[in-house]
Amino acid sequence: MSAIKLEAPQGTEADPAATPGRHAGRYRLVPLVLLATGIAAVIGSWRLTLGELNSPGPGLWPFVVSVAATIAAGILAIVPDTEAYEKWTRRTTMLAGGVLSLVVFILLFEAIGFVVPSVLLLLLWLRAFGEESWRLALVLAVGGTAVFYVGFAVLLGVPFPDDIVVGTITRLIGM
Amino acid sequence: MDVLNNLGLGFSVAFDPMNLLFVFVGVVIGTAIGVLPGLGPTATIALLLPITYTMDATSAVIMLAGIYYGSMYGGTITSVLLRIPGEAASVVTTFDGYQMTKQGRAGPALGISAIGSFIGGTVAIIGLTFLAPVLAKVAVAVGPASYVAIMVLGLFLVTSLGTGSTMKSLCMAAIGLLLSTVGQDPITGTARFTFGIPSLLGGLDFVAIAMGLFGVGQLLHSLERTEKAQAITTKIRNIWPSRKDFRDSSGAIARGSLLGFVIGVLPGGGGVISSLASYALEKRRAKDPSRFGKGAIEGVAGPETANNASSTSAFIPLLILGIPSNVVLAMLYGALLLQGITPGPSLIEDRPDIFWGVIASMYVGNVMLLILNIPLIGIFIQMLRVRTGILATFALMVVMVGVYSINNNPFDMWVVLIFGVFGWIMIKTGFDAGPLVLAFILGPILERSFRQSMLISGGSFDIFITDPISATIFGILAVFLAYSFINNRRRAREATAPAAVPVDTRVEAK
Repeated sequence: MSAIKLEAPQGTEADPAATPGRHAGRYRLVPLVLLATGIAAVIGSWRLTLGELNSPGPGLWPFVVSVAATIAAGILAIVPDTEAYEKWTRRTTMLAGGVLSLVVFILLFEAIGFVVPSVLLLLLWLRAFGEESWRLALVLAVGGTAVFYVGFAVLLGVPFPDDIVVGTITRLIGM
Repeated sequence: MDVLNNLGLGFSVAFDPMNLLFVFVGVVIGTAIGVLPGLGPTATIALLLPITYTMDATSAVIMLAGIYYGSMYGGTITSVLLRIPGEAASVVTTFDGYQMTKQGRAGPALGISAIGSFIGGTVAIIGLTFLAPVLAKVAVAVGPASYVAIMVLGLFLVTSLGTGSTMKSLCMAAIGLLLSTVGQDPITGTARFTFGIPSLLGGLDFVAIAMGLFGVGQLLHSLERTEKAQAITTKIRNIWPSRKDFRDSSGAIARGSLLGFVIGVLPGGGGVISSLASYALEKRRAKDPSRFGKGAIEGVAGPETANNASSTSAFIPLLILGIPSNVVLAMLYGALLLQGITPGPSLIEDRPDIFWGVIASMYVGNVMLLILNIPLIGIFIQMLRVRTGILATFALMVVMVGVYSINNNPFDMWVVLIFGVFGWIMIKTGFDAGPLVLAFILGPILERSFRQSMLISGGSFDIFITDPISATIFGILAVFLAYSFINNRRRAREATAPAAVPVDTRVEAK
């Protein structure tokens, strides 16, 4: 445990000698989150009871693993590895909006079925991220939705939530 | 001949019309994703996991294996034509392959890669056919301590030889092991890290994690890059290599087959390491090493042969010990678990149809790939015109609908989305999801073996020294660590990079 107590305060103190560049803080963000996770897991597995080596308790293995995670994250928090770190661009922010659209998609999917949210999501993504023309995006969105619906709901028999579009069509045909 | 009988059984499975179709589908998808930007074999298998769930176990593995070795062929195409490696193992091919394209020799470069891949793959399958039953008999006697050693070595090699920073990979592997402990303790049944959520008692779902990290994460990342698809201007002529080309590369292909096979069997082996090793070997053996990097055909033939041989022989630890040696095979392992089949020493006895069926399907698949990659290569090159935006959008929809279809539960869509965002952040910050997923799969096996070892030895770590396999592996590891430590110290002193020293001492101390 003493090793872990050593890691945490060192990680938060920025050591100017080891700081690569001006924005060293953001390189530390992920390691610090992982470090916190690791420490929480160390405490959690301690509480699960470790047992003895010849009769290990439920917490022994998680303890070993979380100590390893804490040490590795601690080292990264002290000496951040800037390799392969990508910049946060305008497109990244746009993509955060894309993630939000997926949230809306799942909510709508649960409420009104697959067809409408699928057309909307495909249209949005093809237009915004694919930068396709409106016409092509619309054709692909509608065609793609049809293919997905036939493939999953009809051929594979996946029970989608009640669909307002398909429901209306079948009712009209039924009449 | 026992082996021939078994192989006969295997071929009767592989020649089943449905299975033939699935081999074909697998190798076509594999080649295609090797060519397409932004989708690798790991992401593709992750995307297809829910679909394989509905399939027969043998067909599912046959198809997924086809995707894996098919992608090794396909990854070459973009390496040679555009200097963009389709998957990691093909990075080496860009060195000389792209130079050959610039000299107007794209045809022979692609031709010799396909032929080398075919020979390497086939040699490795023959090795697998004859070696696997023998090894399976030995494997039954392998004790838990050896299992621990093999998995530690595998994880160590994957983290230290993989792409990106070793410390980040180690950290990811540890997090993967930690995530795998969520759920009930396998022996006492105590709930661990479930936070009182009943659905977590069974542990985190492998499919959701894999689809999130590799599927959604990768797709979000590929959408973020704005680069447009590159147009192919090269005309591909004379794809069948000349007699001189064959003479120049025959040695490289022979050595690549053997080298690849051996490296593939090792834990942590597989594509990348074998192609790098082959390139280094060919360069060292060459009378005029300066030709390398300037369009030497051996520099294409050797690595391409080796990566196919190794991706095939990597099935040996998976099918015989039940230990996936790299991330793609971890996905296959996950697919088998989904089907209720645990790969291990008893697979060859319990499910000979799967064991021999998969092996036989590889013979068939390699012949199909040779045909796809020599006369039909033009079709795959056309696929480069597919735009990333369209591809990623539709792949994303496959993920969403696919994950829903496993349990018909929208909850899984949320899990995938959350892990997808994690995966994306990991890629942006240079953390590799591969070690995490591999460790997540190995976690339960590693814990079980470790606890068994402790029970056998009465809580003493001596068991790792008295067990011959484990002693050998840990011995090699210790030597390797000591060597790299000394090497780093020397380099650090020469280059006066003060930051490097504390990192390495920490690794040593651990």
